[in-house]
Amino acid sequence: MQTNYLKDWGKELNVCIRCAYCFEGCPVFRDQGWEADGARGKLVLAYGLLTGQLEPSEYVAEKLYQCTYCKDCVERCSANVSVPDILTAARADLKNAGFTYEVHEQLLDKIEESGNIFGKTLKAPAEEGEMPVLLGCRLLERRDDAERYLEILKKLGIQPTVVEDEICCGMPFGVLGYKDGLAEHKSRFKERFPYERFICLCTTCVFFIKKTYPELEPLYVIDEIYKRLPDAAVKKLGVRTTYHDPCNVCRGMRMVKEPRDIMSWIGAELVEMPTSGMQAECCGGGGGVLVTDKPLSTRLAEKRIRQAGELGVENLVTLCPTCELNLKNAADSTQTDIRVGNLLDFIWEALR
Amino acid sequence: MNAKDIEKLTEIVGGENARTNPADLYIYGADASVHAARPDIVLVPGKTEQVQDILRYANAKKIPVIPRGAGSGMSGQAVPIDGGIVLDMKRMNRILEIRPEDMFCRVQPGVVDDDLNRALKPYGFMYPPTPASSRIATIGGEIANNASGIRSVKYGATRDSVLGLKLVLASGELVKLGALTRVEASGYQLERLVVGSEGTLGVIVEATMKIVPIPKVRCLGIACYNKLADAGHAISEVIASGCSPSMLELMDNIAITAVNETQNLGLPDVDAIILFEADGSAKDAVQQEIDSIRAACEKHGGFNIETSYDAKERTRIYAGRKKLFSSLSRYKDGYSCTSLADDMAVPYSMMADLADKIHEIAGRNNIIMSAYGHCGSGCMHTKILMDVTQKAQWEDARHAVAEIYDYVNSVGGTTSAEHGIGISKAPAFKKEKADSLELMRTVKHAFDPNNILNPHKLFDAPDDWVTATRLRYPVESR
Repeated sequence: MQTNYLKDWGKELNVCIRCAYCFEGCPVFRDQGWEADGARGKLVLAYGLLTGQLEPSEYVAEKLYQCTYCKDCVERCSANVSVPDILTAARADLKNAGFTYEVHEQLLDKIEESGNIFGKTLKAPAEEGEMPVLLGCRLLERRDDAERYLEILKKLGIQPTVVEDEICCGMPFGVLGYKDGLAEHKSRFKERFPYERFICLCTTCVFFIKKTYPELEPLYVIDEIYKRLPDAAVKKLGVRTTYHDPCNVCRGMRMVKEPRDIMSWIGAELVEMPTSGMQAECCGGGGGVLVTDKPLSTRLAEKRIRQAGELGVENLVTLCPTCELNLKNAADSTQTDIRVGNLLDFIWEALR
Repeated sequence: MNAKDIEKLTEIVGGENARTNPADLYIYGADASVHAARPDIVLVPGKTEQVQDILRYANAKKIPVIPRGAGSGMSGQAVPIDGGIVLDMKRMNRILEIRPEDMFCRVQPGVVDDDLNRALKPYGFMYPPTPASSRIATIGGEIANNASGIRSVKYGATRDSVLGLKLVLASGELVKLGALTRVEASGYQLERLVVGSEGTLGVIVEATMKIVPIPKVRCLGIACYNKLADAGHAISEVIASGCSPSMLELMDNIAITAVNETQNLGLPDVDAIILFEADGSAKDAVQQEIDSIRAACEKHGGFNIETSYDAKERTRIYAGRKKLFSSLSRYKDGYSCTSLADDMAVPYSMMADLADKIHEIAGRNNIIMSAYGHCGSGCMHTKILMDVTQKAQWEDARHAVAEIYDYVNSVGGTTSAEHGIGISKAPAFKKEKADSLELMRTVKHAFDPNNILNPHKLFDAPDDWVTATRLRYPVESR
């Protein structure tokens, strides 16, 4: 197999000393229990492909795609080995070697045809203000929610510019290993959304754009709210809630304190999940797993919801629209009596 | 192994707990060592009876069986050098009983050390050896390798914590070893013999482990040194002056730099530091201990000595220390961190000399070696940092390892203090224990007459560790 992408990671794979510390919090390893499910096992597989010691196979591909990119392994790795980047390279090489998934192709076709992950004609609520704001696919589909979140910015003194025809940031191309497709999509994205500095409402978009478009300066909506909320008139909500730290927020952008401070300012009493902050467990929605292996993604989300259900709170809020969706579905499937929502909804309520 | 063997063994554990996929075999053929081989099948038993059935079958067919915990061993203990069955014990992970009043707990072998300590905490107890890998290391693996760690200077190694074991012998017979008492003089203490036997005598399916109350007070200290050897002398002084630290660790400048860079610990950039800790139930007593340790450190040039009772600060420093091993992998671009001569022990008075020797030997052999470790227990860690892709570097490593162990032997030290022998350290081990190798083989034969349990390890491992197995790294012949 040609390893055009993995070959750039040979040194990094030798930095991994295979200590297995990455087992500790890996959600997939904890769910399935085989060493091929943990980060070390996946790195060993990538190493096998790179060195030619291991032939590629559907099984190898299955294992390399069973990672949620939660970055818990990176956080626990003393050598800070870039596990998701290595897996992305391995996925790209596997894809080029013909190990593709129909569900991936379908998803990417939808993005190419419609501009969003749903394959629908979706329009953002156009605004012509001063600060460009990117909604992201999931909030394009939840137009009412998006409009409310834009109102938050307005109430905090930010007049948004919203492009009606914005398209996906390209994250699915990236994590699913479609590097060529991503390069083409990036050009399309920048044509449709021709701004260098802008606010992202979506956690996944902001993290992905920061990492993938070094020429752009995306700002995260929570950072902007955090700067302005102390000067705003807010009412205390008087609710009890737990908070699910999205992986891209806590480990990706190292943001743990800000959402908690915001909850405190708006009178949302926080009851922490059993794992939280930098060690928060993943809901199973990342890394393309939601598309590639829905049952695995569901099991991880259900585990998280059961943890929340034991806390005796009425609400679980999060910040990532994908986490929100996955956890909502899990609350339904487990019949857990908890309302899953976005912290932005609480903020909106406090500002009304 | 043939298809029939695969079928029969799979039947024992059920299809969902057996794997023969080349990808799984590739993964389970390696651990945290430099070695790699391929098993024929990976089995994950969930019950003692399944372990017994597997061993009965393997014994009849003379198929090698290699028990495996987290696979975090650094010397190739879990590498299936002759193929056969890798027995992944992680699914047998129940804590069976906690008896604080009798100060012991009963666990299955797949229980993770930190999970056990989390379960013990509400009782006010802890399981004390504390290896750096406690977050993922299983109790079974720790027993098999007689693991120890930062607190072993006060609380002992794993062997000191084992009260009893249930062991499945190669024949499939289940034997119960040890007693539930703190002391025992009833014949051979075979449970202690099994500790450190690296899976060569039987498969541990249950362990009864001593536990101790969690100390109410802990104080951490750091002492700086401008000369590594001075820190070595101070370690010896602390121990010989009658102090009883609960931690006494050495870190050289390479180790300090590595953890500072990867963990942002902010340790002082000096030639060496000693980390020390005292614990107890009363602050006055702990402070008295700390004062004594401080005095011993100062006597040998220790300066900028700082101490703290702050739990957060302690946790931060411990976390950095526990991640040192892998942090070393970032020390120099293009160099990887290998565990070769990595955990020797010498008499306390030789600690300073050993620390200097390590750097001297590394310099002579074109590699980088760090000196650090649980020196309060007499254990010095080293890691060899080298360009693992170059054949010449493996020759350099071979020379350095031989030189180090010649020195360790010459001063009455031992090859391994806590990581075990496996494959990498077997040549040095065989030299050190030359007088008792035949006796060990006799013991092994009594437990495992067909030599199916983790064969070709310890005294039967190949004489050249570089060629003993495929190296995990692709090596260029330049």
